[in-house]
Amino acid sequence: MTNPLIVAKNVEKSYQMGEVIVYALRGVDFTLYEKELVVVLGPSGSGKSTLLNIIGGMDTASAGELFYGELALHEAGSKELTFYRRNEVGFIFQFYNLMPNLTAYENINLSVQIAKNPLQIDELLTQVGLSDRRDHFPAQLSGGEQQRVAIARGLAKNPSMLLCDEPTGSLDLASGIQVLKLLRSFCQNYHKTVVIITHNTSIRHMADRVVYLKDGRVDKVEKNENPISAEKVTW
Amino acid sequence: MLWRKMLRDILGNKGSYLACLVLVLIGLVVFTAFSILSDNLRLSKEEFYTGQNFADGFVELTTMPQRHVETLSRIDGISHLSGRLVREVRLYAPQRQESVYLRLVSLDLTDPGRVNDALLLSGAELTGGALNAWIDNKFFEANGLELGQSLQVIAGGRLHELTLTGVGMSPEFTYPLRDLKEFYPNPEQFGIAFVPLEDMSTLFPDTRDRVNDLVFTLEAGADFDRVKELLEPELEQYGLRAIYPREDQLSHVMLTEEINGINSMSKALPLLFLFIAGIILYIMLKRLVEQQRGQIGLLKAFGYTNREVVVHYLSYALVVGSIGGLIGGSLGILLATPMTNLLFVFFNVPPVYTGFSLYYLVTGLLLSVSIFLFAGYHGCKDALKLKPAEAMRPPAPPFSGKSLLERVGFFWGMLTIQGMMAVRNLSRNLGRSVFLFLGIMISCAVVAMTWSFNDMVDKLVFYQFEEVETYDAKLILNLPAERKAVARELEKLPEVMRAEPMLEVPVALSHKWLEEDVLLLGITADSTFYNILDKRSNRIVPEKDGLILSERLAQKLDVQKGDSLDFGSPLFRLAKDQQVKVVEIIPQYLGMNAYMELSAVEGMLRQGKLATSFLLSVRGDTDETVGHNISTLRDRYRESDFVAGVDGREERFRQTRELMETFGSVIYLYVFIGVITGFSIIYSSSFIILSERSRELASMMVLGMTPREVFSVITFEQWFISFFAILAGIPLAQMMQWGFAMEMSTDMYTIPGELTLQSLFVAPLITGLSIWLAQRFVLSKIEKLSLIDVLKTRE
Repeated sequence: MTNPLIVAKNVEKSYQMGEVIVYALRGVDFTLYEKELVVVLGPSGSGKSTLLNIIGGMDTASAGELFYGELALHEAGSKELTFYRRNEVGFIFQFYNLMPNLTAYENINLSVQIAKNPLQIDELLTQVGLSDRRDHFPAQLSGGEQQRVAIARGLAKNPSMLLCDEPTGSLDLASGIQVLKLLRSFCQNYHKTVVIITHNTSIRHMADRVVYLKDGRVDKVEKNENPISAEKVTW
Repeated sequence: MLWRKMLRDILGNKGSYLACLVLVLIGLVVFTAFSILSDNLRLSKEEFYTGQNFADGFVELTTMPQRHVETLSRIDGISHLSGRLVREVRLYAPQRQESVYLRLVSLDLTDPGRVNDALLLSGAELTGGALNAWIDNKFFEANGLELGQSLQVIAGGRLHELTLTGVGMSPEFTYPLRDLKEFYPNPEQFGIAFVPLEDMSTLFPDTRDRVNDLVFTLEAGADFDRVKELLEPELEQYGLRAIYPREDQLSHVMLTEEINGINSMSKALPLLFLFIAGIILYIMLKRLVEQQRGQIGLLKAFGYTNREVVVHYLSYALVVGSIGGLIGGSLGILLATPMTNLLFVFFNVPPVYTGFSLYYLVTGLLLSVSIFLFAGYHGCKDALKLKPAEAMRPPAPPFSGKSLLERVGFFWGMLTIQGMMAVRNLSRNLGRSVFLFLGIMISCAVVAMTWSFNDMVDKLVFYQFEEVETYDAKLILNLPAERKAVARELEKLPEVMRAEPMLEVPVALSHKWLEEDVLLLGITADSTFYNILDKRSNRIVPEKDGLILSERLAQKLDVQKGDSLDFGSPLFRLAKDQQVKVVEIIPQYLGMNAYMELSAVEGMLRQGKLATSFLLSVRGDTDETVGHNISTLRDRYRESDFVAGVDGREERFRQTRELMETFGSVIYLYVFIGVITGFSIIYSSSFIILSERSRELASMMVLGMTPREVFSVITFEQWFISFFAILAGIPLAQMMQWGFAMEMSTDMYTIPGELTLQSLFVAPLITGLSIWLAQRFVLSKIEKLSLIDVLKTRE
């Protein structure tokens, strides 16, 4: 087992909705290790996205403790969280969230220009297979291509982990497989932690570990001794 | 239910709707307040004119037997003619440093249909032979006088006591200026006294049974010019100085121009504000329809008709337009009375208040609602085109590709990624960029123009009193006198260092069919106290055989340098009309004069070496000692019938400045309007950008950008447009200033058409400040942006 990257202790998240308090996380204990690919599975409303948002510094826990190394994320202010996101986290969304008026290259550059130790944009574009599309705008790219740009953008900052929220949710099988291959290769080649949140249970077979969430709690954690390659995933 | 949805939508985006509402409010406040103000002033004027039988024509003479008045009144076209004696006297007030003047205007108590009759506001009727007078109300108030009090005046070389029996006002003196060099009435030092005609002969024994001023009304349909032609030959023998119609009467001109100015402002300003507010609403509704595309689809799927959907979106316009219209209109009505009172400080008219005006309230409401419905319809008409199924699908992603600016390699290379995004957004939302550009340009132009106007007024007073007129005091004679003897006499006085003569003669200049009555100033060629300056402020020596004209006079007579014009004066002996060449045209900001070398004017008068006033340099090392010596000089001539008064230049400079400062506050209102416009435009456009691009902005924050870095994308875009808009605002301000100068310049003063350097610094600064201020609100919104909510949903 490698070093722990994120340690969550009894993390809770609740929202006040009028007079009712809604609990999204009811005490999550969970550790994320360096260089692993983790798939988080669970039905709708189980707290997957909330957990990802909290780990990614987009949201804060209502109770409990969450550490990134020495950094106590549960106590961090918005400025600290901003710099945590800037330096340590790469995000991939279901709907890509690319800047519509920036080309593929420029979208990646947007991330590079704020990073301390960025990766080479052209090299990333080659790796995601889009070097010939570098000057295309998002509207000129297919969904799969847009998601690959988003992955390149997420990685370009050279973050410690890549957090992916339903990265294949809007893609067809072939494009989805391509995206999963990229995520796996980055985990291996760049030694980054990759977390994939999904409904798609087929993806769990390529993970090093699978975390099952249910009703805002970790139901179980499975270690996959022999993860399959992304090409073999099917749905 | 849809009303509830609309209200919640508005509340959810209250900042932008509020910015829109503020503009409607300002527009409607200006519309109702200024319309009522203009009505109040017009009605007051009309009632006053009718009630006091205000003249259609005015005649100034040297002197004429009173019995001839009756003959003249029978001239064809004249309805009623009154003969009067008008004389200016000095008040004997040893306790006061400055000279105080009273213009005595006779009232013929035997004439029941007196033209330009005075209106008695308080006190008793005048009695002939009792040396009593009605004093004008402004002078009465400004000097803290009381009824029954006596005023000592120096008339006919003697001190007389005039008893104040009443306080009155006349339509002839609604804006009483002692001379054309004054900007504003100065009731502390100049007033009007209405005196029975027979008392005038007590004050001035040489005027018994004589008049020097005629005022007449015309019969219905009579032509002034025809009457003038008939009057001229009759009056020539009496030293006719001028015959002019009501349209050229000073107070009437000032009052009418003020009413016209307010009237045009009551239309132009509100339209400008409503236009800007309408465009903001148009953009907001267009955006709302794009945002609520799915909801529109749903409504249509439920069975709502196109009409119902459009009416729903028009209800946003209706609500903002109606609220703005009602509140703005009501505020305008409330403000109209205090604003009218403010104006009556300058114009001496018995106020008539129209008070509550349903007409302007309803008109204003209809105006704002119709402009908003028009803008609203164009903003939401896209909702009509959508089919339900199509509406519920997300729209095709917009693609605008590379912008033109990307081809400018060096520029593009300088930009950060945020800069690139900003520049591309400009071309992606061309319509909105153009609106932003126009709005900021107008805002900057309004500030630059008003600031410049303020500077200019300051400058032209400074120019007149510091560069053109450099004497310490001006001694004005009651009648022309032999100049050498008077100069010798004056230079013997211990207070006077040097005296320079000046000859002021009323002349009529004509060119083609154009004619102007002006004062010709005869100045010595080596004058050091009155400088005739060209455009570059170089001194011009007045010539013996040529006229120097002020720019405005040249413009009014349509003459160029080198042209000849006809030149006549009732005071010229022998040759009445002669030709004279225009040798120079010079800028003149205060007044409108012609200039000639002193001896040449004397030559035309053929009455010897004369002067009507003397420009003096007064002994003294400091302003205080000079002021003290001027007071001594005044004391010397306090009881003289020969000297009409002694004016201190420094004193007039200071007074004019002070008076203008009170008026100058209006300028800051326009600056405020400019700031509000700039603020509202940036504020609302920022919020539209926020709602439209929250996803992009949130994505950047997720990447790890700070709110300030994200904010810079929006501000870069706004500053980029604003920079060019502010640059474009300067030529627009220049054009507005030219138009304004042309509109506002009168024979009394010429407003220069140029922008001042200071305004070119201040206007961009103020516009920039209003933009910066509006952006602060945007920053706080970005800081509160919920990344999760924005990014979770599909666009």
